[in-house]
Amino acid sequence: MALSTDPVLTATTSPWQVVRLGTRLVVRLVRGAPWRFVLAVLGALLFTGAIVASAWVVGAATDDLIIPVLGAGQSVAGRLVPVVSLLLGVALWKAAGIVLRRGSATALQVTAQTDLRRELVRRLFGTSLRAYERHGVGDLLSTADVDTRQATFVLAPLPFAVGVMGLLVAAITVITATDPLLGTAALGLLLVVVAIDLRGAWLTFEGMEEAQRRRGRVAGVAHESFDGALTVTSLGREAQERDRFQAAAEHLRDQLIGVGRIWTGYRAVTEGLPSAGTIVILVLGSLRVVDGAISPGELVRVAYLLSLLVVPVRMIGYLFWDTSQSVAAWRRVARVLEEQDPVTHGRVLPAGSVAPAGITASEVTFSYDRDVPVLSDLELSITPGSTVAVVGPTGSGKSSLAVLLARLWDPDTGALHLDGRDLRSLAPGVLSTEVAYVAQDTFLFDDSVLGNVALGAPVDEAAVRDALRLANAEVFVEALPGGLDTPLGERGATLSGGQRQRLALARALVRRPRLLVLDDATSAVDPSVEARILRGLKRATRPSTVVVVAARRATILLADRIVFLEDGRVRAAGTHEELLASVEGYARLLEAYEQDAADRAEQQRRHRDQAQQRPHRDRPEGRRYPDDGSGAQGDRAETP
Amino acid sequence: MSRPQAHLVTAVRRAAVVAPSLTRGLWVTVLLAVLGTTGQVVVPVAIQQLLDVEVLAGTGDVQRIATIGGLALLAVVASVLATRAAMFRLLRAAAEGLAELRVATFAHVHRLSTLHLQSERRGSLVARVTSDIEVITQFVEWGGIGMLVGSAQLALVLVVMTVYDPLLAGLIALAGLLYALLLLAFQRVLRRLYDQVRERSAAALSALSEAISGLKTIRAYGAEARTLPRVDQALEGHRRAEIRAQLVGASMFSSAELFAGSLTAMVIAVGVLLQPGQLTAGRLIALLFLVTLFIEPIQLLVEVLNEAQTAAAGIRRVLGVLDAPVEVVDPVPGRQLPPGPLAVSLHDVWFAYPRDAASSTRGDPVLREVDLELPPGTRVAVVGETGSGKSTFVKLLTRLFDPTRGTIELSGVPLDQVAFASLRSRVISVPQEGFLFDASVADNIRYGAPGASDDEVAQACRELELDAWIAELPAGIHTQVGERGARLSAGERQLVALVRAWIARPDLLVLDEATSAVDPALEVRLRRAIERLTTGRTAITVAHRLSTAEAADEVLVFARGRVVERGRHADLVARGGVYSRLHADWAAGASGGRAGGDSRPVEDGRD
Repeated sequence: MALSTDPVLTATTSPWQVVRLGTRLVVRLVRGAPWRFVLAVLGALLFTGAIVASAWVVGAATDDLIIPVLGAGQSVAGRLVPVVSLLLGVALWKAAGIVLRRGSATALQVTAQTDLRRELVRRLFGTSLRAYERHGVGDLLSTADVDTRQATFVLAPLPFAVGVMGLLVAAITVITATDPLLGTAALGLLLVVVAIDLRGAWLTFEGMEEAQRRRGRVAGVAHESFDGALTVTSLGREAQERDRFQAAAEHLRDQLIGVGRIWTGYRAVTEGLPSAGTIVILVLGSLRVVDGAISPGELVRVAYLLSLLVVPVRMIGYLFWDTSQSVAAWRRVARVLEEQDPVTHGRVLPAGSVAPAGITASEVTFSYDRDVPVLSDLELSITPGSTVAVVGPTGSGKSSLAVLLARLWDPDTGALHLDGRDLRSLAPGVLSTEVAYVAQDTFLFDDSVLGNVALGAPVDEAAVRDALRLANAEVFVEALPGGLDTPLGERGATLSGGQRQRLALARALVRRPRLLVLDDATSAVDPSVEARILRGLKRATRPSTVVVVAARRATILLADRIVFLEDGRVRAAGTHEELLASVEGYARLLEAYEQDAADRAEQQRRHRDQAQQRPHRDRPEGRRYPDDGSGAQGDRAETP
Repeated sequence: MSRPQAHLVTAVRRAAVVAPSLTRGLWVTVLLAVLGTTGQVVVPVAIQQLLDVEVLAGTGDVQRIATIGGLALLAVVASVLATRAAMFRLLRAAAEGLAELRVATFAHVHRLSTLHLQSERRGSLVARVTSDIEVITQFVEWGGIGMLVGSAQLALVLVVMTVYDPLLAGLIALAGLLYALLLLAFQRVLRRLYDQVRERSAAALSALSEAISGLKTIRAYGAEARTLPRVDQALEGHRRAEIRAQLVGASMFSSAELFAGSLTAMVIAVGVLLQPGQLTAGRLIALLFLVTLFIEPIQLLVEVLNEAQTAAAGIRRVLGVLDAPVEVVDPVPGRQLPPGPLAVSLHDVWFAYPRDAASSTRGDPVLREVDLELPPGTRVAVVGETGSGKSTFVKLLTRLFDPTRGTIELSGVPLDQVAFASLRSRVISVPQEGFLFDASVADNIRYGAPGASDDEVAQACRELELDAWIAELPAGIHTQVGERGARLSAGERQLVALVRAWIARPDLLVLDEATSAVDPALEVRLRRAIERLTTGRTAITVAHRLSTAEAADEVLVFARGRVVERGRHADLVARGGVYSRLHADWAAGASGGRAGGDSRPVEDGRD
């Protein structure tokens, strides 16, 4: 759960800045389809015009129909039909305005949101992994989901708010024209309502931002605690976890109550104030009617207009609220969209060869975080067609070298050359046709097995089957309900880690890469299966240079050459025997198990000696062995 | 019309049992809300009074006009205060009640073995205490206030209308009812459209998140050209659905204006044509104002009723979690485990995982008639291929869940009679993915022994010969590990988890591939340290590398849910059964198999 816990907008921004940034944001968002915005404003103006018109009709009906008929006892005569048709006409007019405004504003907002999301994905696809990692997957996901939506919130109330401004001007004009005194009073009233509303919106917004952060904390604790449930239960720490969660939940509760205190206060006042103002104006107006300055119908018109204004005027407060949210969200979106760390490409076209590729690295230094060098002055030359194992202790830079070879990252200094071509000089899309990289964690797409292995490459089913066979995945894929066409569901949740890795391997093999980079890519595969895969790879007829980051001895022994890394440098390179003989660190690493096994043998020998001297006290009699015949058959279900 | 409401009422009533703050003092709140809405009808009443009494009657008594105005203002101020109090009381009750519900649900989730049985359900359990509660909160904040204020306003407006003219009031009420029914029908259409929007929105999000989370894979395989059209298509589908739904929504919303216009016309027409007895001009005009106050709450109430289904569903989901029976219960009164190393015995133990999240039926057994006696102080290695049942076996030992059949005893005490406090402090397991909390290394280790001092933490690290590793960390034991321990490598996370278990000084230590990601050289050292430390304790290790099995007092070989072989390493290898095959494969991977990649590995083990 990646709830953004960015610096709050309010901590760094004043209401005026919100207005300024909001304006700029609106211009940016509306740019794509200005006509939609114009239509929406038009709809809003249509609606507000109709409001004024309806007040006028009601006022006219009072003077010309209601008072003469009910007050003076005159006959209805032909006076009713015009009033009724005018009322119905104005209602239709209002309805049309609403549909036009809401329809256009929604289309505007949803389209802007869609465009932002499209832009975001395209920007990410073109940006370096350094920038990608800096933002973090969690934050990027929440930006793509929540922030793109919130950044466009401002577009929904904006057209209406513009219409309301028009309405205010029109209403004040109408009322002033009726009676200047009432006009001044009405103007004062509306300004006070808007001011209080805005103030309330800002204060509430501040509080809600804080609440949002506390909400993120609640979600964070829940996530962490449930993910770590095995640990929590195993160690019996449920009560401790409950207290932790309760503290977060109560922290949020207190903030919500605090915001509620402010919000309900402002809301009650802004709801009551128009009524109070209308009453003041009614009293003033009644006196004016008594003076003969205005007619009763004109007083009704003013009062009716004011009563219709109450709800729309609050739109300005909503607009401000939405703008604040949008500006805050936009900052997070803009951070990604304005990312200045693109992956650059050259124009060098494919080599046109299917032969194994050679790759060299010269004077390569590399770091994820500028302060912590991972690789320094690395020199490496891998001859075409060879199988090279990269070996080294944890943190020696093995995986980093692998991602540089596949150009997921670029080195800080120095260069890597594929058959003499600098990786950065290749035209877009060329590298991935020549180099395939398989990581330790497998990412599977919400697609069929076939789609996941092909992944857009122009390969047929037979090629996919071949690749699956080579990756030792054919048997379990066949056993899936739909074979190759089985949908894997999101992230392939139904497969085991080893099965996923084998699919990833097939995904690389089906491309017939000239260089295959395996970064501990069989770590979750059962050792026996791994041995089969590696032997198969070794036998395979497809030509390709293989670089394998190895953590198992068997993997290492399959290589023609070993590159031994230590502290981000190539400490030694050569055959297994050479390194074993000459490099102490390598020998230590490789011999760890053999040494251990030898120790065991020694220990067991001693145990046996002791056992001959005294009986085993920890071996009870009468132990029952289950019948192993029934269990053993088909034990290795995955063995063809 | 009453159905969603009824659901909501039952759901809220049940939630209120868990979270009493939710409904505490609700009646006072309702009363205040009714009082508060009087502010809304003050204006029409004032108009009627001013017009009928003063203006049209032509008295023009300034004193009386001012008195009417003053009284009206007073009523408005009182209603503002009452409204404010009602809204705040409701919000506070919701915040307090939902916090209680949240915590109760959270605590209950930790008691459910589902967490361990179906890890894929974790996400939805998190949703229960986060987004579901949020949905309810939002509903109470918006819908609760709307329902409260709206229905109060509706009732009050109808009362005032009836006082002015019963006939017109009756007509207006009837029209309002018809309109509400129309809106409800409309809402059903809208709801379908919004279901579609939600579906498309989910599809768009999953396409987006796939493109973002899978970025490295996409880049490594040049799959941008495949991915972008999929993303665009999903986004476009969502965009269209949203626009369509909103257009229909806008039409529905605009129908209120048509209704208001027609109603106003009807009131005027009926009023002037029939001229019922008591109808004055002022009263008719007041009715016109009241009509505008009558429509908004109808619209609001219909929307609230509609949303109520969502909120009720949220509450039901939360209650569903609270209703989920706790399968692994802390026995009362629980028995204490006898001091000293623990013996383990299993008698005819079977286990099957639930088939899926929804049903309580079980799938095929993953453990079958397991019978074992492990004397205290034994060091046992458990081996077997993936899916052989070995992990399930060790999870049963720590009572993460109970066997579907058969019994497990620790030193003669049936496992399900052991008090949790005793069990969790004496039997500690270390899983493969040692989960770390976003805190320091020391705090994570201390999780195994709350209250342990920094010295004790350092001591535990020393005992496992990990002091050299700790010294290399940027801030030693005070190094922050990041979210889920992300700043440490997988191997380092396992080390922390191991110390965490060790500092609890367990009498039965269960290691489930607990060092699988640790550097080989370090692992060897670590294993020796563990062996030294567990002397005199019972230790059960699910072995990732069979070198562990070579050193064990006893090896248990699992295959297809059964213990198919057991004994010492050397004896098992000599037997030439399952174990000898596993070992041969492993040995080929660990240290041999050079001599020409094409040759088959030696099948009959090495010795």
